Amino acid sequence: MSDDLNIKPTDWQSPEMVRHTQMRNRREKRFKLFGLSAVILAASFLFLLLGKITLDAAPGFLQTSIEVDINFDKAVIGDPRQMGRDAFIENVRRTNMLRLVQASMDIYFSEVTDRRDRRRLLRLFSAGARDQLRNMLLADPMIAGTSKRVSLLASDDIDQVIKGHTDISLPELQRKVKNKELSWLQKFEDDDRVSLHFHSLFFTSGDSRDPELSGIWGAAVGSALTLFITLIIAFPVGVLSAIYLEEFAPKNRFTDFIEININNLAAVPSIVFGLLGLAVFLGTMGLPRSAPLVGGMTLALMTLPTIIIASRASIKAVPPSIRDAAMGLGASPMQVVFHHVLPLAFPGILTGTIIGMAQALGETAPLLMIGMVAFIVDIPASFTDAATALPVQIYLWADSPERAFVEKTSAAILVLLTFLIVMNALAIWLRQKFEQDW
Amino acid sequence: MQQSMTEFKNMTEQAVPKMSARDIHVRYGDNHAVKGISLDLHLNEITSLIGPSGCGKSTFLRCLNRMNDSVAGCKVTGQILLDNKNIYDQNIDVVQLRARVGMVFQKPNPFPKSIYDNVAYGPRIHGLAHNRTDLDEIVETSLERAGLWQEVKDRMDSPGTALSGGQQQRLCIARAIAVNPEVILMDEPCSALDPIATAKVETLMDELKSEYAIVIVTHSMQQAARISQKTAFFHLGELVEQGDTTQIFTAPRNEKTRDYITGRFG
Ligand SMILES: Nc1ncnc2c1ncn2[C@@H]1O[C@H](COP(=O)(O)OP(=O)(O)O)[C@@H](O)[C@H]1O
Ligand SMILES: [Mg+2]
Repeated sequence: MSDDLNIKPTDWQSPEMVRHTQMRNRREKRFKLFGLSAVILAASFLFLLLGKITLDAAPGFLQTSIEVDINFDKAVIGDPRQMGRDAFIENVRRTNMLRLVQASMDIYFSEVTDRRDRRRLLRLFSAGARDQLRNMLLADPMIAGTSKRVSLLASDDIDQVIKGHTDISLPELQRKVKNKELSWLQKFEDDDRVSLHFHSLFFTSGDSRDPELSGIWGAAVGSALTLFITLIIAFPVGVLSAIYLEEFAPKNRFTDFIEININNLAAVPSIVFGLLGLAVFLGTMGLPRSAPLVGGMTLALMTLPTIIIASRASIKAVPPSIRDAAMGLGASPMQVVFHHVLPLAFPGILTGTIIGMAQALGETAPLLMIGMVAFIVDIPASFTDAATALPVQIYLWADSPERAFVEKTSAAILVLLTFLIVMNALAIWLRQKFEQDW
Repeated sequence: MQQSMTEFKNMTEQAVPKMSARDIHVRYGDNHAVKGISLDLHLNEITSLIGPSGCGKSTFLRCLNRMNDSVAGCKVTGQILLDNKNIYDQNIDVVQLRARVGMVFQKPNPFPKSIYDNVAYGPRIHGLAHNRTDLDEIVETSLERAGLWQEVKDRMDSPGTALSGGQQQRLCIARAIAVNPEVILMDEPCSALDPIATAKVETLMDELKSEYAIVIVTHSMQQAARISQKTAFFHLGELVEQGDTTQIFTAPRNEKTRDYITGRFG
C-alpha cells in the first residue's frame, strides 16, 4: 500500500515514453504540414486568379493602329484662310471625315473599285478615326491642304485579328473578318503600317458601344463621386454612433436592442439595401435615378454597420487605465473621449472605415437596384448626373457580345483590384503610422 | 508667543478634518462591498488603508473623488464632506471635485503622450496656466516636487510610456500634483515597483504630506508603518479599527487587526 504511494522519478528513456515523444513530434509535424499545404493551396488559387485576369487583361490595355496617308483636301474640309476660323471649324464639324480616309484608300488600294468593297475598306478603321481626324483639324487648322501620315485606330475586329484572338483557320463563312479584309490587312502589314501600342483612351474615356473607344474613366469618376457621398455620410454617423454607444449610452434594453440590430444590419445582403434605396430615396424622396448621390446614400447604409462595429471594437480596446487617468485629473466625459480615447482608437476606426469603403467600392447589387446600370457615355460631372460605377461597368462589359469586350472586362477588373489593393495597403500603412503603444 | 500661535493653528487644523466620510455604503448590484464606513482625513497627514484583498479599500477610495460614478451598477449612499460640503450633493461639479482630489493608480498609467504633455494636461484642461511660460513653470515644479525633474529634463518630448515603471509612477504623481489638488488618493502606488523605486515614492509622499492630505491603500504593513500617521483596517467591507499608526501596530484593540498585522491571515 505504502509502496504504491511512492513517487518514482519519471523514466524518460523507457520505451513507452520514447514512443510517446515520437508520437507527439509526428503529430506536430503533421499539423505543420497541413497548415503549410492549406496556405500553399490558398496562395496558388490567388495566383491563378490574378494571373488569369492579368493575362486576359493585358491586351485590353493595347490597341491596333494603322498608318494611313491622309490628304487634308481643302475641297472636302474647306480652307481656313478663305472662310475664317469659325466658319472652318463649323464646316469641319459637319463634314464626314471618312471621306478623307476613303480618298486615301482609293489611292492605296487603287485596284479596289467595287463600291461595296470600298465601303468595306473603311470598316477596317474604328468609328473613332473620324474624331481623330476632326480633332487634328480643330487643334491645328493650318494642316488643311497638306498631306500627313496619320495613325488611325483600327476597328475592334481587326484589332482582334492582330492580337491573335480570331481564328483565321476557320472557314470564311464562320468568321466576321473575311478573306478580303485579311488580304488588305496583309498589305498594310507588309508595308509595316500596323502597330500595337498602349491605349491611353481606355483610361480617359467613358463607355461606348465600340470596344476600342470604350474606357473606364466614366465609371471611375462615378465610383469616386459615389464613394465620396458614402464617406461623408457613413464616417461621421458611424463614428459618432460608436462613441455614443460605447461611452455615453445607458446600458438598458433599448441600447441592447439597437446593438443587436446594428449587428444584424451587417449581415443583411447588400441587394436588400438596394431595394431600400429604391423605395426610400427614389420612391419616397424622389431623388434622381442612376445618380451617385443616391448610390452613395445607399452604400452608406450598407457601410454604416461595418464602421460602427469596427469603431466600437477599437474604442473598447482603449485600456480603461487611460480613461481612469484622465477622469482622475478632472477631464469631463467629452474631454476623455476626444483627448484620449479617440486618438488611441483612431487607427482602428480608420482601418474599419477604409475596409468598409473598399467593400462599397466593389459593390454591384445595390447599384443595379437604383439604376446605376444604364449605358452612360458621358463622364458624370456632378452628384446628380447619371453615372455608373466600376463594378457595374465590369458587369455591363461582361454581358456584351463583342469578343473585344472580354479583354476590356478583365482590364477593368484589374483596375478595380488595383484600387482595392491600394485602399487596403493604405489602411495597413495608416494603422502602422498612427499606432501607439500604451 | 509666535510659536504657540502656530501650534494653536496646527491644532485647530488637526481638529477640523479636510475630508470626512459619514456612514458610506457602496453596493455593486447585490454585492454590498462597503458597509457603513466613517473616516476622517486630515491635512499634513498620510492615512493608510490596510486589509485583505477584496475588503473594499479601493472601492472606498474611489468614493472620495467619485470615480465610482462611471462604474455601471455601483451605488453609493452616505456623505463625504470636503471642507464641510457633501461631494455627493446635486450641485457639486464632479470635474472640479476631481481637480481638488487627485488620484494615483496602482498600475502606472501615463498617457501615451510626451512627458511634458502628461504633466501639462491637467493644468491645460482646467485653464490653470495663462501662457506657455506659466505652463512650463507648472510642469517643471511639478516634476521637481515629484523628484523626476533631474532624470527627465533633457527629454521632455519623449513619450511618458518609455520611462521605467518607477519613473512612470512618479510621472503620474507629478501629473496629479500639477493641478494643485488638496487631497491625493493613492491606490497601492508601489505594488508594481521595485524596492528602490518604492523608496523614492515613499520619500516623495513624506515630502508632499506638508501640503496635502494623502490617503494610501497598501498591502505592505511595513510601508503603512513607515510612512503613515493614521491607519484604518478594513475587513469584509467594514472598518474594523482606525487610529494612530503607532497605536494600531503596537497595541491593536481588535483581535482581527492583531491577526492581520502579525500576518496570521490576509
Ligand atoms: N467594478 C466593480 N464591479 C463590481 N464589483 C466590484 C467592482 N470593483 C470591486 N468590486 C467588488 O467589490 C468588493 C471590494 O473590491 P475592492 O474595493 O477592489 O477591494 P480591495 O481594493 O480592498 O482589494 C469585491 O468584492 C469586488 O469583487
Ligand atoms: Mg484594490
